[in-house]
Amino acid sequence: MNIRSKAWKLLMVGGLGASLLAGCGSSEEAASKDESVTVSKDGFPIVEKPIKLTMMAPDTGVQNWEDMVVLQETAKLTNISFEYKNAPKESFETKKNLVFASEDYPDVFYAAGLTPSEQLKYGEQGVLIPLEDLIEEYAPNFKALLEEYPDVRKSITAPDGHIYSLPVIEFNQHWYRNPLWYNGSYLEALGVDKLPETTEDLYDLLKRFKDEDPNGNGKADEIPVSSVTTPAANIRDIRTWMLGAFGMYEEELFVDDNDVVHYTPVEEGYKQYLAYMNRLWAEDLLDHESFSQTAEQKQAKGEGNQLGLFSAWHAYQLLGTEASDKDPMFLPVHAEGVEKAAIAKNGGVKTGAFAITKTNKYPEASMRWADYLYSYEGSVLFNKGPEGTLWEYTNEADHTKKAIPAPDGKDSEEIRSTLTPNYGIPAPTILTDEVNKGLTTDFDKWVENETQTKLLDNGARVPFPSLFLTIEEQSEINSLNSDLSTYVKQMEAKFITGAESIDSGWDGYVATLKKMGSDRIAEINQGAYDRWKSN
Amino acid sequence: MVKSMQESKGDKIFLICTYIYLCVALVVVLYPLVYILSASISSPQAVNSGQMWLFPKNITWAGYELVFNNPKIWNGYLNTIIYTVVGTLLNLFVTLPAAYALSRSDFVGRGWFMGFILLTMFFSGGLVPTYLVVKNLGLINTMGALILPVAASVWNIVVARTFFQSTIPKELQEAAQIDGCTNLRLFWKIVLPLSAPIIAVMALFYGVAHWNSYFPSLIYLNSESKYPLQMVLRQILVLQEMSAETTGAAVSADMAALMASKAETASLIKYGVIVVSTLPIIAVYPFLQRYFVQGVMIGSVKG
Repeated sequence: MNIRSKAWKLLMVGGLGASLLAGCGSSEEAASKDESVTVSKDGFPIVEKPIKLTMMAPDTGVQNWEDMVVLQETAKLTNISFEYKNAPKESFETKKNLVFASEDYPDVFYAAGLTPSEQLKYGEQGVLIPLEDLIEEYAPNFKALLEEYPDVRKSITAPDGHIYSLPVIEFNQHWYRNPLWYNGSYLEALGVDKLPETTEDLYDLLKRFKDEDPNGNGKADEIPVSSVTTPAANIRDIRTWMLGAFGMYEEELFVDDNDVVHYTPVEEGYKQYLAYMNRLWAEDLLDHESFSQTAEQKQAKGEGNQLGLFSAWHAYQLLGTEASDKDPMFLPVHAEGVEKAAIAKNGGVKTGAFAITKTNKYPEASMRWADYLYSYEGSVLFNKGPEGTLWEYTNEADHTKKAIPAPDGKDSEEIRSTLTPNYGIPAPTILTDEVNKGLTTDFDKWVENETQTKLLDNGARVPFPSLFLTIEEQSEINSLNSDLSTYVKQMEAKFITGAESIDSGWDGYVATLKKMGSDRIAEINQGAYDRWKSN
Repeated sequence: MVKSMQESKGDKIFLICTYIYLCVALVVVLYPLVYILSASISSPQAVNSGQMWLFPKNITWAGYELVFNNPKIWNGYLNTIIYTVVGTLLNLFVTLPAAYALSRSDFVGRGWFMGFILLTMFFSGGLVPTYLVVKNLGLINTMGALILPVAASVWNIVVARTFFQSTIPKELQEAAQIDGCTNLRLFWKIVLPLSAPIIAVMALFYGVAHWNSYFPSLIYLNSESKYPLQMVLRQILVLQEMSAETTGAAVSADMAALMASKAETASLIKYGVIVVSTLPIIAVYPFLQRYFVQGVMIGSVKG
């Protein structure tokens, strides 16, 4: 053996040893609390001496957070200011994982969208500190809220009994998915004055969209219903509503009125949904590009006035017209034999918006700062900007406001996005009708009314509550889902496009799903649901 | 026209085939470029609906207007130029001497050093350890984070070393040394002037890499004022893709409004930004291309 190779080996061994040693190094201890700062339990400022913390948040890139008036005002009010370690919104996930992996924690996470499994994992590791005691002592507003809405407490409490994050609460946002809208000009051209109530009526109407040239250009270029497929799910924007017609809630899971959890893709209603969609496909009523086109392509069709029924936040955004009440919201239809359509409603609570890490020296002060976001004043400040810029009180006592037109004909949303961080991110806050009081336009009111009469009054409800799985449950579900989701997606597309016959293929499909563990998914979630229910 | 030699039928057919093949190749290469140029001045609706497929349709300059009025794009431009110029100079400063030293057969321990350097090509620390190193060097959120960790590329050192080995004759070095030339002077006065092709090639390799890089800035930078152009570009493009996901559960009114407005702007300026950001590289390339061809060929021409 020559010297060279021996030296190499020694070097390798040395390197390995060094890396082992490095692995053993003790990680940073939790920050010792700074006791010299006293935190007042009510009133402002929160602390006597100004303190500075670090914050990590997703940034939509409109304005530097240091320059946001709302954050500056809050700093003045509370004596707590922040150094921002933001990451662009679209790559926030990457950065968040890196921060956790490298133990380079900020003091607080803002609008971080921490998933339940992240909260549980980093909570059990002690990276995120439990908040329930802090809430008790230092969060009067949030505590009152939990007392008023016990379901919120259920949804944010992890299976180990701790609360690791504060949620986004939007009690004024009822949509689970964007609604479907009819093209009003089509309805007018065809003289339709009553919206379809059953799947057959809907089929007839779509057929008329196709055959009777409602856009009046002499060409048969109308597409009765169009959809977009994303990596997450096939034609998700319309399937919620189509599945509903057969008594099924969307997503892979829902719980029925008798507290039984179902895995949707094996249900009989799902089969009927596939058959119906296949029929629309075969007769060219469902856009044949639905599985391949991008949202922009659909948008282009909408602007070309080619679409009859489509999903959008507001119809006019897709059609490229002005806001108007001419395009009615889709009234959920139901199939024969199904008593009423299943309509999904947004639960209004999303966990993971605000969390405090172990390196934070002032957890009490941080909690009181966050609590301000859940007060009426805080919510108005963070969601509407400071008074006198875009709105002012007409009656301060009952919180009625009126909008101030933006200067120089600018878009007021654009201005708002430079004032406050709560723009396009899941920020910790509570949004109620009170916050918006007086600021809604006629169009908003019309949309609200459509939502009320067509969705809420027809029995919309939350399909599956937001709840925690334990780490073991989550990892089992993830591994089951990695096979199942792909297969379900593939087969859904095949059944709808007719590449696979539903009559002959369904039984084999269900058998394959069972073999892949679809029952187990329902079972695990049933357990978690029962836990949530009994809490 | 006088023909020096009669072309046979076979020759003619071959020639025609060659031209046909070259034309096809030209179309394949040119089409995306023309498409992007046309799309950048067409209305997004025409582009997305597929009506615009070669020449601009419903011409609008609104996209370029938005690009030129967007301070973030200009700031990103400036940053990218800084990263590219400073970064490339540093790259050359590190790579060329290293490569030359490693090319010298009288360099003691050459095999060892080469082995160490090559090792890093096959085994790297991975994302998190690299992040920790950068963090502990105090480089997080500094411009240095984008320049220093990528100061030397092993691959380029190997390429440059091979060039020096094969083109700078040992006799030249010996002659210089007999005349009393030091190593430093030898490198500076004799080797470098003979190495214009490899310098140009290295500058182009490194320059383009700096110009196109966005991942390090995504990882290491926190403040927007330091973002390079590609990062700004990415923000615009990715946000648009995300608008397709607004159908996700429990999206807030806020978020939907943001997505809708971003999607509109994005589809308008997407192609314009691509043109503006690639133009400099396309403009520089023809000037360096001469060296490029020479640099790749040079070893084989020598007898």
